[in-house]
Amino acid sequence: MDIRKITHLAMLISLAVVLNIIESTIPIFNNMLPGVKLGLANAIIIVVIYLYTFTDALYVSLGRVFIVGLIRTGLLGIGFFLSLTGAIFSTIIMYLAKRYTQLSIIGVSILGAIFHSLGQVLMAMLLLKTISLIFYLPYLLLLAIPTGIIVGLMAKNILSLMDKKIALER
Amino acid sequence: MNKSDWQLLAIIIIIIISLFAITSLFNYNNSTIATVYYDNNIVLTLDLSIDENREYRVKGYNGDVVIETKKDMIRVKEEISPLHICSRQGWVKSTYEVIVCLPNKVVITLSDNKNKLDTVVR
Repeated sequence: MDIRKITHLAMLISLAVVLNIIESTIPIFNNMLPGVKLGLANAIIIVVIYLYTFTDALYVSLGRVFIVGLIRTGLLGIGFFLSLTGAIFSTIIMYLAKRYTQLSIIGVSILGAIFHSLGQVLMAMLLLKTISLIFYLPYLLLLAIPTGIIVGLMAKNILSLMDKKIALER
Repeated sequence: MNKSDWQLLAIIIIIIISLFAITSLFNYNNSTIATVYYDNNIVLTLDLSIDENREYRVKGYNGDVVIETKKDMIRVKEEISPLHICSRQGWVKSTYEVIVCLPNKVVITLSDNKNKLDTVVR
């Protein structure tokens, strides 16, 4: 890993953390619907998947989860494990979708949002030892579609901006 | 969005609709037994057809959780948590709804009388 790449990844991690903080101040997604978030940080993960490799995306994803856990929600609590599972699930599926399917960046983002919700609900069912949470899943999946589209559009714009920047630097 | 995006969207929507359909089949069993868990241990079992219109205090991770019951219904009235998700959820009466208060590590599940033997065995 050269220094430029390390710097880029570090910058992207901090962006993801900041986006996470910003989105938690948007009241609709904070209070009205428990468990529903815009998932702005996911846009950063998509950018990393498209610009760099899968391992780098996993670094950024896990880095974000750990830092947000450290400064906001608390490490090793239930919420931490929920976001960890969601992050791992969505990163893996988005990489696979980008590598092996014809999906555009928006489709990749929707899949990521879906699997983030799926991973979180599965982990919550495991941790709380109750199957009843599956009745919340269709609502979460339904809302994952619009949030996935929004985040996908965002990632698309960030990518086109960053592509120009990176091309200029080289 | 290209063609495969729309295909993906169609598949996801079909899955969501079938999930809604499957879950709504089970959704409206009225129930009478409420079980309260703290940290995965049963702390309280209530028969909602007998224990009507009462309040119970259960120990939660952040402090006491106040649970109120009505005929065949239960809710969390007061608790200490950042977002108050479980007290905002309000009255719950279906077997397949569940009240989860993550910050307090309190879970309330409902089951109907037919399942009573299962509870005794456990």
